[in-house]
Amino acid sequence: MLDYHKSKGAEVTLAAMPVPLEEAKRFGILITDENRRINEFEEKPENPRSNLASMGIYIFNWKTLKEALIANAQQPSLDFGKHVIPYCHAKGAPCYAYEYNGYWKDVGTLHSYWEANMELIDIVPEFNLYEEYWKIYTKCDKLPPQYISENSEIEKCIIGEGAQIYGKVYNSVIGCGVIIGEGTVVRDSIIMNDTEIGFGGNIEKAIIAENVRIGDNVKIGCGEEAENDTAPHIYNHGLVCVGEKSVVPGGVTIGKNVVISGETGTEDYENMQLASGKSLVKAGDEV
Amino acid sequence: MRAIGIILAGGNNHRMGELSKKRAISAMPIAGSYRSIDFALSNMTNSRVQKVGVFTQYNARSLNEHLSSSKWWDFGRKQGGLFVFTPTVTSENNSWYRGTADAIYQNLSFLKESHEPYVVIASGDCVYKMDYNKVLEYHIAKKADITVVCKDMDAGENVDRYGTIKMNEDSRIEEFEEKPIVAKSNTISCGIYVIRRRQLIELIEKCAEEGLYDFVKDILIRYKSLKRIYGYKMTDYWKNIATVEDYFNTNMDFLKPAIRNYFFREHPDIYSKVDDLPPAKYNVGAKLKNCLISSGSIINGTVENSVIFKDVFVGNNCTIKNSVILNDVYIGDNTYIENCIVESHDTIRANSYLKGEDGIKVIVEQNDRFVI
Repeated sequence: MLDYHKSKGAEVTLAAMPVPLEEAKRFGILITDENRRINEFEEKPENPRSNLASMGIYIFNWKTLKEALIANAQQPSLDFGKHVIPYCHAKGAPCYAYEYNGYWKDVGTLHSYWEANMELIDIVPEFNLYEEYWKIYTKCDKLPPQYISENSEIEKCIIGEGAQIYGKVYNSVIGCGVIIGEGTVVRDSIIMNDTEIGFGGNIEKAIIAENVRIGDNVKIGCGEEAENDTAPHIYNHGLVCVGEKSVVPGGVTIGKNVVISGETGTEDYENMQLASGKSLVKAGDEV
Repeated sequence: MRAIGIILAGGNNHRMGELSKKRAISAMPIAGSYRSIDFALSNMTNSRVQKVGVFTQYNARSLNEHLSSSKWWDFGRKQGGLFVFTPTVTSENNSWYRGTADAIYQNLSFLKESHEPYVVIASGDCVYKMDYNKVLEYHIAKKADITVVCKDMDAGENVDRYGTIKMNEDSRIEEFEEKPIVAKSNTISCGIYVIRRRQLIELIEKCAEEGLYDFVKDILIRYKSLKRIYGYKMTDYWKNIATVEDYFNTNMDFLKPAIRNYFFREHPDIYSKVDDLPPAKYNVGAKLKNCLISSGSIINGTVENSVIFKDVFVGNNCTIKNSVILNDVYIGDNTYIENCIVESHDTIRANSYLKGEDGIKVIVEQNDRFVI
């Protein structure tokens, strides 16, 4: 990309990817001439005139960037896409689009985050984590191997270090140090580091954050979908989200498009149930 | 801590057969993600020993690779640190370490230039957790010259591969036999010693003068009546991986919940070098029962009662039972493996049938690997 930037004599280069036209209104769209020089920007346009979406990866000439940052210093919530790059463009700096056609996924919505995780489980996913020559590094403080017990079943999963699986896990991404109790079935879900789930439960299409404690015999993702009552633009596609360090008491049944955060007790669940579309966000959820 | 550490990691051992051809015993992989020496190193750092020397010579490459940085075990970086000593040819010395005492003698400056009053000596081929401070306190309380950590083995267990000890009622060691043909006691030495630094220098120098080289035979056994040598009994888990069978059983021990919790979840932690591997992946067709799986592995077949190390690939329709598969092994489709240890970086061709008939079979097949 840097080679391209230099060869074009650009001052600003934006990595851009062709997306389906109907998806284009979610992105910043670039309108370019035949040399990929950018003529216009459109931020999340209703009727996109191009399908070239900015990926949020930029190369600037330092002088151009420095000048633009100083000139816009007073701009509240100064943004690259909204202010800095349009400023450079307006000043006549040559801006180019660098077309990328590999794997790129914006995980900015819960559903796209969930989808990206599910794609990684495929046999040889488009983006292969097991590629020797392009390692993806992370901070990890867990060393021990994971344990898969006598009575467990596992199919199409990726599972992190130190996890202990006593239940049945299908088509899911399980983080480091997670414990899944005996008889619990987990399907199409993402469970993050150090969360512990009791026995006899059933969990479908859930995103459960770090250090959550879920009691025994908890059913998550049951029944018909219903629109979320507080933030349907965030909690949708039937996903259930449980925030970090939350506690879910044993024996409760939880619907779809639900969000739970904080230490909840049985008194928070009417008839031990939380219907689809409900939000259970308790004050003081930061432990 | 008022002690420096020495880890004797030089050992090679014909009883480990093929497995120690490639590496020192101390570099043997253990429990999916560790190497044997991690246990001694973690005990040192958890006991707040800040300066540790590792003495090694045979097949030191894979050990050196593992010990490339002291940061994994958090030894001192400005003061103290982790030092690896391999035999160096100088004008006075042109030989390998001729024994454990000789290894210390050849690196005596490490002891002489330290200022801590005590030395903890451990070997790199044992799996255990221990706070060496407790041994040091005991050593001081007993006014001992040398304290030897020992353990009572189960009655009837064959102890002829260990040093056996007999103590009086005050725990002073009266008899010490190395690898006895007929053992008179089932108390064995764990190869962990505490000794005053100056005392150690003196004994090692005397040994060298007399042309003697072995710490156990030429110091512990020879001086047992002259010096106050005491035994400190440990009761927790301790395993030495001196034979293929011991090595296999030690790995299998980690399938037991109590042992797994003791090492993986209870304080303090065991540390190791971090490899930045992706999580383990289970594809359609994977069936797992009672096993440990390490990161970077991809499982397509059946795995039962086994320990799978890092970066292992198990092909479609494979069955692996009661086995230990070391790092970076590729197992082709339709393969059957039972009662085996498969050496690291190996490639097992599709449709293989490998089974240890009486006892554990060590598999070393140097096939070419063709991967896309």
